Amino acid sequence: MKRIVFAVSFFFANALGLFAQDKAIEVFPAAPYDRFIIFQALALFWIGIIGLIVIIRMKLREIERIQRMGIDQEQKDTPLLD
Amino acid sequence: MSCQRLRNWIEERYDVEEMRRLAKHKLVPVHQYEIWYYTGGIAMFLFILQFITGMVLSFYYIPYFEHANKSVIEIVTKLNMGWFFRSLHHWGAQLAITVLFIHAFSTLLLKSYRKPRELLWVSGFILLGISIFFGLSGYLLLWDERAFAAVRVATGGAGNLPVIGGLIKAFLRGGLDVTGDTLTRFYAFHVSILPLVTLFLIGIHVLLVQYHGMSVPLSLEKKPQRQIPFFPNLFYKDLIIWLLVLGIMVSLAVLLPPEIGKKADPLAPAPENIKPEWYFLFLFQTLKLFPGDIMGLNGETIAIILISCGILFFFLIPFFDRKSSRGEKSVLFTWIGVLYTLYFIVMTIIGFVS
Repeated sequence: MKRIVFAVSFFFANALGLFAQDKAIEVFPAAPYDRFIIFQALALFWIGIIGLIVIIRMKLREIERIQRMGIDQEQKDTPLLD
Repeated sequence: MSCQRLRNWIEERYDVEEMRRLAKHKLVPVHQYEIWYYTGGIAMFLFILQFITGMVLSFYYIPYFEHANKSVIEIVTKLNMGWFFRSLHHWGAQLAITVLFIHAFSTLLLKSYRKPRELLWVSGFILLGISIFFGLSGYLLLWDERAFAAVRVATGGAGNLPVIGGLIKAFLRGGLDVTGDTLTRFYAFHVSILPLVTLFLIGIHVLLVQYHGMSVPLSLEKKPQRQIPFFPNLFYKDLIIWLLVLGIMVSLAVLLPPEIGKKADPLAPAPENIKPEWYFLFLFQTLKLFPGDIMGLNGETIAIILISCGILFFFLIPFFDRKSSRGEKSVLFTWIGVLYTLYFIVMTIIGFVS
């Protein structure tokens, strides 16, 4: 009797699994520590991007200033040493 | 070899100074619509990123229907940073197609296609078509039930074209239905045929841009133009925008990683509420507008013919718009451009919301 009850309960326990929703595949690390590292890296990445943009912008302004002054142009009658 | 020696070695063989002078003397026009001109550069930058992330993924992907879905799951769950590269590749594709559509519609509305730049439009249009096919072929590589159903619908739709439809469908599927053969075929398209054609067309497109120079909108053509050197002015501006795009792409990849569905089962019914990728939504919605039967003819076939005519007209616009070619204002084609743009946006939104 004990065996039959055990077998029937085992059968139902497994059959219930068929109705359960499929577990979604983890497409992002689940561990809180990994998540923290990833979001921290993303924040640092954006700080790096903003820093680079500021540097490029400064460089561009300097180039435009030099171009406005006209000192980037080569002089046509520059004496050459030859 | 020291840096100076390497420089000398190169300069002895190639005229680097001439190339530097050429880059310095290349001028680009500055005007109020110049923001739209950056979309071409962004698209090229995204293509480069797609090539890099795609190559990394191809080291681990198995293009066989029994293992394809499992290999993607293993890339995402077992490989170090695998989820990130897959997500980058996914969002890179979405952004590239978005930018390409913006580039195409801005070219249409600014009439940059006009004489002598017709071939630029033609090469750009083919590149857009190839990018969409890149998206479709890449989507099937997941080999999950949604991708399977989407490709079945897309290839089935192509099959509704009269005369050549059956041939196209059989060629794309590699058989009567979407099977493992289709997966192999799409893999070949995605990793070898399309990249080669894309590289060739990008080369032609960039070469034509260099040859013709950047176009100026008709309304500004007769006004005095301010010009700036391509290098370093425009190049630095491009760099700033590329950095921003990279930031957006990485953020999307981290915050919204794409999901993976259940392995495709050819015998299972299609999942409910299935929708194609967003860039097919306007076609999907248009097909929905047509009844199944129109005067005894198949409604879907008529819809496909009309859509094909619309796309063909879009492709040939530079050859129809004679007024713009002569440098005259062409109100009709401005309205046609607005109509195409609005139709695409509205239908995509309706498809997304419904």
